[in-house]
Amino acid sequence: MSARLASATAATAYQRDWFARLRTQAADGAPLALVNADAPQEIFRAMGIPYVVNQWWASIVTAKRRTQDYLGHLRERGYPDHIEQYSSVSLGSLFDPDPGSAPWGGLPRPSLVLAETTGDASRKIFDVWGEQPGITFYPLESAAENDVPVRWWELMPRRWEEAVGGDRLDLLTGELEGLIRFLEQTTGLVFSETRFREVMELVNEQQEWNRRTRDLIARARPCPLAVTDSIPSVMIPQWHRGTTWARDAAKAFHDEVAERVGEGAAVCPGERARLMWIGRGLWFDLDFYRRFQESHGAVFVWSMYLAIAADGYLRYGDDPLRALAARFAAFSDQLYTPPWSAEWYVKEARHHGVDGVVHLVSEDARGGYFTTRALEAAGIPVLELRADNVDSRGADAEAITRTVGEWLDRRVLARD
Amino acid sequence: MSAALARLATPAEPDGSRPVVGYVGADVPVELLTAAGMHPLRLTGSPGEPSTAGDRYLGTGLDPVARSVLTRLLDGAYGHLDGLVVSRDCEASSRLFYAVRELKRIDPAAPLPPVQLVDVLHLPHRTTTRYVHAKLAGLRATLETWAGRPITDDDLAEAIGQHNRLRHLLREIGELRGRTPALLSGTQALSLVAATTRLPVRDACSLAERLLAEQPSEVDGLRVFLTGSGHDEPGVYAALEEAGLVIVGEDHDWGDLLSLRDVEAPTMLALAERYQHNGPSAPRASIRRRAEHTSSAARARGAGALISYARVHDDAPPWDFPAQRALCGLPSVLLDRQPYGGLTDDALAAAAGLRGPVGAVR
Repeated sequence: MSARLASATAATAYQRDWFARLRTQAADGAPLALVNADAPQEIFRAMGIPYVVNQWWASIVTAKRRTQDYLGHLRERGYPDHIEQYSSVSLGSLFDPDPGSAPWGGLPRPSLVLAETTGDASRKIFDVWGEQPGITFYPLESAAENDVPVRWWELMPRRWEEAVGGDRLDLLTGELEGLIRFLEQTTGLVFSETRFREVMELVNEQQEWNRRTRDLIARARPCPLAVTDSIPSVMIPQWHRGTTWARDAAKAFHDEVAERVGEGAAVCPGERARLMWIGRGLWFDLDFYRRFQESHGAVFVWSMYLAIAADGYLRYGDDPLRALAARFAAFSDQLYTPPWSAEWYVKEARHHGVDGVVHLVSEDARGGYFTTRALEAAGIPVLELRADNVDSRGADAEAITRTVGEWLDRRVLARD
Repeated sequence: MSAALARLATPAEPDGSRPVVGYVGADVPVELLTAAGMHPLRLTGSPGEPSTAGDRYLGTGLDPVARSVLTRLLDGAYGHLDGLVVSRDCEASSRLFYAVRELKRIDPAAPLPPVQLVDVLHLPHRTTTRYVHAKLAGLRATLETWAGRPITDDDLAEAIGQHNRLRHLLREIGELRGRTPALLSGTQALSLVAATTRLPVRDACSLAERLLAEQPSEVDGLRVFLTGSGHDEPGVYAALEEAGLVIVGEDHDWGDLLSLRDVEAPTMLALAERYQHNGPSAPRASIRRRAEHTSSAARARGAGALISYARVHDDAPPWDFPAQRALCGLPSVLLDRQPYGGLTDDALAAAAGLRGPVGAVR
């Protein structure tokens, strides 16, 4: 089975068409937001304000091999080119002296940027955005909790107040009320609670389809699709969540996977090892994910993108704004804070019956020890790969391939 | 050397008369620890010692100070601690808290004290004030549990008064550095501030008062303002001052920034507002606010040059530097990705080069 998933092809085509329309709208003077991936985009959706996701644009730039150009533009202005590149490369694209040469015609200049003040550098990156003429930075706090919920993925859909904690929810809900007032005043657009409820319901429907799809793939033997297909099939609709197109795209993705499972399709005939990829997508080398199918019969069955869509977004409740706050107040915890993250990765590894985990550990603050330890303690072999997901400087593709191959031989396939 | 400064060479150990609570970060409201009858001990790293355990648990992509502190915690280098309070003054402190919490969870026998996060945030909004107020109330409750007694409002008011007094004294000492010539070196000032974070507040005030009562000596050298990373030990200051510079001020919270702001009323709300508006520190303040503060503070101390020292994996300072340089209008240099507790040869040469014709190194 080598044919690309139709839902992946359709999503990519939709994205290109949407981006072209977005460029036209922006050229006509419409407001445009640039938002971080873990920011509450649903408010923009409800108000009809188009937005581009910072990390999506970074992935496009990297796949088109323009990252080093854009990091160079930061360097020329005295900013670091070695810190949080995944978040900063879009800023570099703003300084492109030849925007016509940029991927997809170039990122239109936003009028607003929205991000949580995560880490030490992210808010600085957005400060620089906010210093540019005509661009306003609206920061949100990034709060943390002393206590840890047990099995957060079971609590989040309906018992999110218990999982996230009231103080964080009070804070973000209050901030979102401020954001709505700010957008109403600066754009002249209306925030309709009725429309917002529709958006929130569509998002939940979409993530329920993602949950079913995740479960299908977890149970399927052999794996019916390439992880490089599942990523666009889930993430492009994710960036359009709250629309009927996105909900229907998630359903179409599910139906296509179900059909493949029914047919017994295999992305890797002779599948010998099921692998999990923990970390951000390796955007500069997407071929990596299929490199070990032929040589080792090893197939990546899991990335966080579908799994977090399945477990990390569902929020039901009578107060939609507080539910939206609950979607994002602990989003980073779900992926990067032990034991939230570590326990979830173990749960997912078991759910998918993986034979090994490749864990991308970048030279940044997130670290990886507790995730690796938890998986190994559960009897699952882990290989920590040291690389940045967008900045290929210092990454030796041959060495990475050799390392993974040797690890598969030594620790994964030797267990057969 | 003055008698008060000489005393810093042999820092006092906790005398066992009260519980000792270690803390990480200047966002920890030490007033609450004092009000609970505890001895607050700000934890420092040690760049001369290996940080093997910290590197293992936190990874090598994190500020080495946090890796060192975790290593020392596990080694028992701080002596017995009855508790540990960690703020989120920077990402490294957050990660340190998560690591301690997780190590205690997966190995209850690990030699680590009870730990509590205090999540002080800094956006200048009422929503943040309410949140910080709630977080400080939570810390107060935890400290009451650890202390086995309530913290009364009188306890709190007294502690706030004492810490305001200490901050006032530290600001007076800071002014000695603004004289021409300076009457205190940066290394001496840094050591003094660090000593006050190891002492009960009354003893810290006494130490500061003794220093102010002594006859100061003049310090010569090119007057520089130091921005960038915080310094929990004097290695970098000593190296720069041995190279002919005198650090007349800084904007990190092991120095001038620690005492910049008082608590304006003897209440929990005023305490929350003081810590919310703490800083402006590199990891938590906006580029604009940092640049404005650095510029005015450097001018107030009569600095002739600006050095930004950014420790390896301390991610905020390099982003601040272009705006700081532009607003200060001083000969400036960024010393990026520097090792913990020291400088590379190139960095030291670049800093020393500031003594050349004005504007030679920018």
